[in-house]
Formats: sequence, structure tokens, C-alpha cells
Amino acid sequence: MAMTSSMRGLRRLRALAAYAVLLVLGVWTLGPLYWMVTTSFKTNAEVYGTTATLWPRQPTLANYRVLFTRTPFIVYFQNSTLIALATTAVTVVTSAFGAYALVRLRFPGRRVLARMLVYTYLVPQSLLFIPLFTILVNAGLSNTRTGLVLTYLGFTVPFCTWLLMGYFLSVPVELEEAGLVDGCSRLGVLFRIVMPVTLPALAVTAFFSFTLSWNEYLYASVFVSNVNAKTIPTGIPSFIIEDVFFWGPMMASTVLSVIPPLAVYFVFQRWLLTGLTLGAVKG
Amino acid sequence: MTPSRWERWKNDQRILAALFLLPTLLVLLSVVVYPFGDAVWISFQAKQAGTPGRFIGLRNYVELLSNPVFLQIVGNTIFYTGVAVAIKFTLGLLAALVLAPERRLNGLYRTVLFVPWAVPTVIAALNWRWVYDEFSGMLNNVLLALGLTHNVVAWLAEPRLAMWCVIAVAVWTGTPFYTMSFLAGLQAIPQELYEAARLDGASALQEFRYVTVPGMQAIFLVTVMLSTVFTSTSLVIVNVLTNGAPAERTNILPNFSFNLAMGTGRLGIASAVNMIFFPLLILVILGLSRRLLAARTA
Repeated sequence: MAMTSSMRGLRRLRALAAYAVLLVLGVWTLGPLYWMVTTSFKTNAEVYGTTATLWPRQPTLANYRVLFTRTPFIVYFQNSTLIALATTAVTVVTSAFGAYALVRLRFPGRRVLARMLVYTYLVPQSLLFIPLFTILVNAGLSNTRTGLVLTYLGFTVPFCTWLLMGYFLSVPVELEEAGLVDGCSRLGVLFRIVMPVTLPALAVTAFFSFTLSWNEYLYASVFVSNVNAKTIPTGIPSFIIEDVFFWGPMMASTVLSVIPPLAVYFVFQRWLLTGLTLGAVKG
Repeated sequence: MTPSRWERWKNDQRILAALFLLPTLLVLLSVVVYPFGDAVWISFQAKQAGTPGRFIGLRNYVELLSNPVFLQIVGNTIFYTGVAVAIKFTLGLLAALVLAPERRLNGLYRTVLFVPWAVPTVIAALNWRWVYDEFSGMLNNVLLALGLTHNVVAWLAEPRLAMWCVIAVAVWTGTPFYTMSFLAGLQAIPQELYEAARLDGASALQEFRYVTVPGMQAIFLVTVMLSTVFTSTSLVIVNVLTNGAPAERTNILPNFSFNLAMGTGRLGIASAVNMIFFPLLILVILGLSRRLLAARTA
């Protein structure tokens, strides 16, 4: 009896420790975000005042108004959206074809190609931005959104092809063979059999390409200096002008910029973990 | 009935494979493989932006290695990466262990702890810069309100604190990746192993030592290697928070290279900066890709 009660005590202690860890990590995670959101609704007096407020006393949308009327934020937002969507569309199609060929078709050099995929994914962007800059200038693609999409494919395609290979491998070959016997072409098999059953995988692929291109900073700051092609990651920091900060509108812009990736994350999250187990982590 | 030439052509797997892989190959060759070779080549040149380069052998490397500032930045990069990876690993494992068992509202906790992963790194860095703000930032305000300090601290300008503040941001944005990987790994360990260990009278600590750790080894390795590559080569956090200040205390190699290239236009030497760790990087990439490929074929 004493044994069980001490064990129950131990279990309760462990649960308590777990909740303590969760609480600390939760505060650490949400604290900065809380500060960001509340700042964006504060008046300048409250943002820079001597007595700090934890909650906006006079909530205002003034910062958002400044953002839309006095900065090119809308242009940045549009550019980021267009670039992320274009990169995602091209990536999903390209890597679906590539992954299918690597998994199901027999041809010389298959293994070498699969290996190259991993190598290319691991080549860091900081190694590539200098030559890519020269290449884009020579091709007349610097300061264009097309140029950014093309270079973003360099990290989305290898990763997503790799991810999809894992999923396509899990589709039973018998299913495809049945399709082929029924007179489906390979293209038909890919579109009517493989892709429908791996829809969650395609969703995960789309998610990764979208967030990776939405967040990209290095290429965007090197290849684009023109306001008309700037994206959010490089546009927003330029609101800091010579150490004159205007943190209210800045935080309003970060709040708005977090919404699309967060929304995508909330929609896709139930597939993400299984996606990672199947593809990125184990594979 | 013999199949027409078109039929045969259409079903030849090699031709089909070539067609299917054409876009992927084009992308990889033009924006990764070729630029990569070019980067190596440029590092042996005296090349100013917009002008053709001139081969100068190892002179860029010699210049870098005889520059004490550069050596300091190499040290910074190692420190930054090592400490950030270690903290992310510890916190990620702790979070995964807490999130793994069934618990009320677990879905909610997971969602919350994963949020920084969905926040763009630039946004996180800007946000933290505001948290660290000397006069109006959250950190100083909270510390003052709690009576923990009486003077404001210039977090990002204090030579002894700046690097730790930068590392904290790297930890904030990077931990969820570890948590996710570890959580996935924990779920892949068969429950029977834990039950067997419990029947043998193993304590919680022994369970962790003899079931969890061996089961997670592969994931530990892959996660740490991936994270090391990406932490040491990403400049966003440093670039936005401090740009290397105060006195190069927080500067790391990718940011140094970026400033050399964009500020002075000296592309040759800027490229050489990134090549310094290249032999090490090759080792990591080879090891990592072997692991990844092995896991796939097993």
C-alpha cells in the first residue's frame, strides 16, 4: 500500500515537473510575440513612455495606418505573396515528377542523382550568393521577382524532391502496376494514382516551399535593391532608418507578416509531424 | 500486333525518366552546382563586383588568415554555433520528453511551442531587437518592474552580453525544429521496449538511458548535423540584431562575407571567407548524406 501511494506521489511529482517545464517554455516562446502584438496597438506615448505598459491603455490602429499610408509595405507584401506562391507551384510540380522518376523508373545514374539531391540541399546559401549575384546580373534578372523565384528553387526543389521520394516509396507498387495493366500511361499513373494517395505529402511539400521562400533573407537582400521587387524580410528592416526607429509601425508590419506563415502552419500542422517522421527526419 | 514506335518510345523508362527529371536537373545545375563551382573559383581571384576577376592563387586566404579580426570572427562562429546547438538540443529534448506522453491539452502545448518555427527568422530578430531595446524594450521594463535591476542594460551593446543575446534569439527560433524531430523520434520507439524495461524494474532514469537514448541516436546525430550546418551558415539573426557590433564581438563568418561583398565589393575575398570551413562542411555533408541515404534504403 505504502509502495503504491509513494508511486502515485512520484507520478504526481513528474506531472508537476512537466507542467513547470511547459509553463517556462510557454512564457519564453510567447513573451516576445506578446510584446510584438501589444506594441503594434499602442500609441507612441505608450511605446516610448517612461512608464511602460504591458497592455495598451488606449488601443489604436494608428501604427497600421502609418504602415499602409506612409510605407511601401503593401508592395512588399504583394511581392512576398507572389514569389512564395510561384515558388511553391513550380516546386511541387518539379519535385513530384523528379521524385517519381527517382523512385519508380529504372535508368542509369539513379543512385548518383539521389545522392546529388542531398548534397545540393546541404550546400548553404551563404556559399552561393556571390556567384549567383553575378549570374543574375548577367542574365538581367537582378532586381526582379523572377530572379528570386529561380534562385529559391535551388533550396526548395532538392528538399521537396527528397521529401516526396519517401512518400512515393510508401505507395504500394501493386497499385501502380494495376493502373499500368489497365492501360494507364506513366503520366496517368502519377496523376491519377500516386498523387491522390500522397496528397498530404504534397501539402507538406507546398507548406515547406511557401514558408522557406516567404522567410528568405540573404538572396533577397543581395539580389534586390529596388523597392518594387523587395520582399517583406528585406523591406521591413529598411524601416530602421539611421537609428531612427519607429517601433509601432514596425511591430504592426511584423504582426501582419507573421499571419500568412502562421495561417499556413495552423492549416497544415496535423500533417506536418507525420510528414517529418516519414520524410525529413527518418529519411 | 506490334506496338508502334511511338508506343515503345513512350514506355521507354529511360526517356521518361529524362523527361521527368529535366526540370529538377536544370534547377540543380544552374542555381546550385554551377554557382558552387564558381564560388570556389572566385575565391582564388582578385575580383571586384562588376569587373572580371584575376587569378591570384591563395592570396585571399593568406590575407584572411593573417588578419586578427578574421580569426576572432572564426572563433565567434564556433562559439555561436556550438553554444546555440547545445542549448537548442537540451531544450528541444526536454520539450519533446514533456510533450510525448498523452496529457490533457497536449495539442495546444505543441501548437504553442512550435509557433517560433513558423515565424520568419527576420521577423523574430526584429521583434527581439525591440525586446532588447535599452529604454523601452520589454526585457528592461520587466526587470525594472520586478526590481531585479535598477539600471537599464544596453543588451546588444554590452560586449560581454551581446553574443549571449544573439544566441538567445537563435535558440528561440531554432528549438522547435529539435522538438519536432525528437518528438517524431520518440514516437517511433516501440512501446514494448518501455514495457519490457518496466517489467525488469528499470527506473525512469534507466529507461531514458537504456531505451530512449539508444533509440534516438540516429535522430540526435542527423538533427545536430543539419542544425550545425544551418546555424553556422545563416546570417539573418546577426545581420538584423547587431551586424557584428560591438567591435566585431558578435560577427560570424557568413555576415562578415556578406558585408565584404556588399560593402566593399571585394567578391574574391568575400567568397574565400565562406570557404574556410569548407573542408569541415564537406565532412559533415558526406556523413549526413550517408546517414540519410542509409535510412532511406533500410
